[in-house]
Amino acid sequence: MSARTALSGVLTMAGHEFRLRLRAGRWRWLLGAWFIALAVLLGLMRLALVRSGEEEVGTPMLGGLMLLVLALGLLVVPALTAQSVNGDRERGVLATLQTTLLTPLEIALGKLLAAWGTALVFLAVTLPLVAWCMFEGGVAIGRVAITLLVVALLLGVVCAVGQCLSALLARSTTSAVLSYVFVFALTIGTLVVFTLAVAATTEEREVQQRRFEYTTQIAHPERVWWLLAPNPFVVLADAAPRVEPELNRRGRPERSTVDPLGAMGDAVRETRESDQGDAFASIAPGDREPGGPVWPYGLAFNVALGVGAVALTERRLRTPYRSLPRAVRVA
Amino acid sequence: MEQSTADGLQAAGVRRSFGNVVAVESMSLNAPRGQVTALVGPNGAGKTTLLLVLATLLVPDAGEVSVAGFDPVGDPASVRARTGWMPDSFGSYETLTAREVLEFVAAAYRLPAARRAERAGELLALVHLSEYAERPVHVLSRGQKQRLGLARALVHDPPVLLLDEPAAGLDPRSRIELRALLRGLAGDGRAVLVSSHVLAELEETADRVVLVDRGRTVSQQRMADLDLGQLRPWRLRALDAAALTAALDARGVDHGPPSPAGVEVLLAGDAAAAELLAALVQDRVAVVSCAPVAGSLEAAYLAMTESRR
Ligand SMILES: Nc1ncnc2c1ncn2[C@@H]1O[C@H](COP(=O)(O)OP(=O)(O)OP(=O)(O)O)[C@@H](O)[C@H]1O
Ligand SMILES: [Mg+2]
Repeated sequence: MSARTALSGVLTMAGHEFRLRLRAGRWRWLLGAWFIALAVLLGLMRLALVRSGEEEVGTPMLGGLMLLVLALGLLVVPALTAQSVNGDRERGVLATLQTTLLTPLEIALGKLLAAWGTALVFLAVTLPLVAWCMFEGGVAIGRVAITLLVVALLLGVVCAVGQCLSALLARSTTSAVLSYVFVFALTIGTLVVFTLAVAATTEEREVQQRRFEYTTQIAHPERVWWLLAPNPFVVLADAAPRVEPELNRRGRPERSTVDPLGAMGDAVRETRESDQGDAFASIAPGDREPGGPVWPYGLAFNVALGVGAVALTERRLRTPYRSLPRAVRVA
Repeated sequence: MEQSTADGLQAAGVRRSFGNVVAVESMSLNAPRGQVTALVGPNGAGKTTLLLVLATLLVPDAGEVSVAGFDPVGDPASVRARTGWMPDSFGSYETLTAREVLEFVAAAYRLPAARRAERAGELLALVHLSEYAERPVHVLSRGQKQRLGLARALVHDPPVLLLDEPAAGLDPRSRIELRALLRGLAGDGRAVLVSSHVLAELEETADRVVLVDRGRTVSQQRMADLDLGQLRPWRLRALDAAALTAALDARGVDHGPPSPAGVEVLLAGDAAAAELLAALVQDRVAVVSCAPVAGSLEAAYLAMTESRR
């Protein structure tokens, strides 16, 4: 089968799903609420920044906005795909779809595209707010593009995983719950596991300093930093290009603006740095180079997760079925 | 009109179980092209399961299957391109209209974009749903959904049709139209396999019948052969009931008591009926009707399920 036929199959499926979604929901209200909530929060953020004497508010506003969009997006998106396969089976339309000439991959990709497209509509609605941040000045266009791209990709991954769960599990309520559990694991779970892992890998060391001898505790976040990498907020923060530091009066590089993304990113990179048992190395903060970037690993992990989820969905959509889950009828 | 059966539909020794429930134990059937083959059996006999195997949705645990000359397990795509499957329920497309559903299915069967709207229109007209074309499918009546389901199975003009209870929920006129439609489809050289519980309907539609019970094929034969040599009740009605019973008594034919509906006699098939009728006419009895009390299919069905009670 030619790539062109396959593409048109995917588009057929996506168009169909998108139309169903469009007609089913009260999108105008949902999108309106989404926009207003974000606009109000962004306005408050600006007020807070201005009151605290910040001059260039564009960069911190954009950072805060994107973190908010990601957080709200992770709340909304699992609902978009959590029923896309088993819901169709429950409504009795999956089997007739599978007996058409659409291949399982076309069905999986088409459904994913429609769901992701819906998620991107939410992202598109926030564009005026992004424009507001840029209008405040000091925001590099590259920074805007990269953060939007990363958020879009991460939302796509959550769509793919939710859809995969809906293909794996027979009941749509179960798959909906599990998609939220997945988002929880990715956000809070990674953080908790990382914190515990740091505590678990902390070593006691005897330190001899002149005549004194004492024990000190040395944490080894550099051994477990990768536990944080899949966290969507970490990926977003670390992937955002840093604001170029300026030289201050004493000739030292200094970041002139608050930048929530950059600050988070630096904090995460620091976990890759080893103290090498030198208890006094941290006495002079700021001199240390932050460790290497974390986001490529996190993003690669997430994208791999998404691709794996699509592959698994495709497998589960393949017919004829050899085995069926208990208490499921094909038609 | 026995055409080549090569690319109709054949199944031999099909078996399929779900966990420890054996839904289909051993079913065999032939549905040649140009004929309507009826699949008849009690609830839970495994008809739907067999159709799912034929429609490339289930892998049989055992048995040989060939649909339109292809293997549904080995080459499902080729089978799908040549098979129209109508499930026993239409499913819910929520807000889509009848026309939109058919256009989507046409696209899913890769009909060229220019042809889809036209095809949807043709099919809606065929199943008499043109005036409901723009209504959401969700609000259609059961019978209307059923007709739309038939249209959906016909979208890609397949040579093999698998219809699971297409007559369920149809009003009398729609049933008659369905009968004509199925005859027409078979007349075009298609192999049509219909499962149904409306035996009187099948009697007039089907060329062949496959009786199944508890996952097994009980018998498979041509409708015409169904009542050969079987004693079945027939009902005779004459202008003068007394003259009729007198003539029957005179000829030594056992008969039931006369009722407003007529007099019942036991006869072994069409030939015996024709013979008796000729004799009665010779006796100058004014016979106005002579017909089997129940269809031959119903009789065969009842005989098959006798042991169940
Ligand atoms: N997915 C499944 N899991 C478990 N048992 C099943 C499954 N599908 C069918 N069965 C069982 O297999 C048997 C045959 O079911 P099937 O639907 O094929 O019957 P049918 O002949 O179509 O009946 P009806 O006339 O009521 O439509 C039934 O006893 C049914 O309970
Ligand atoms: Mg059935």
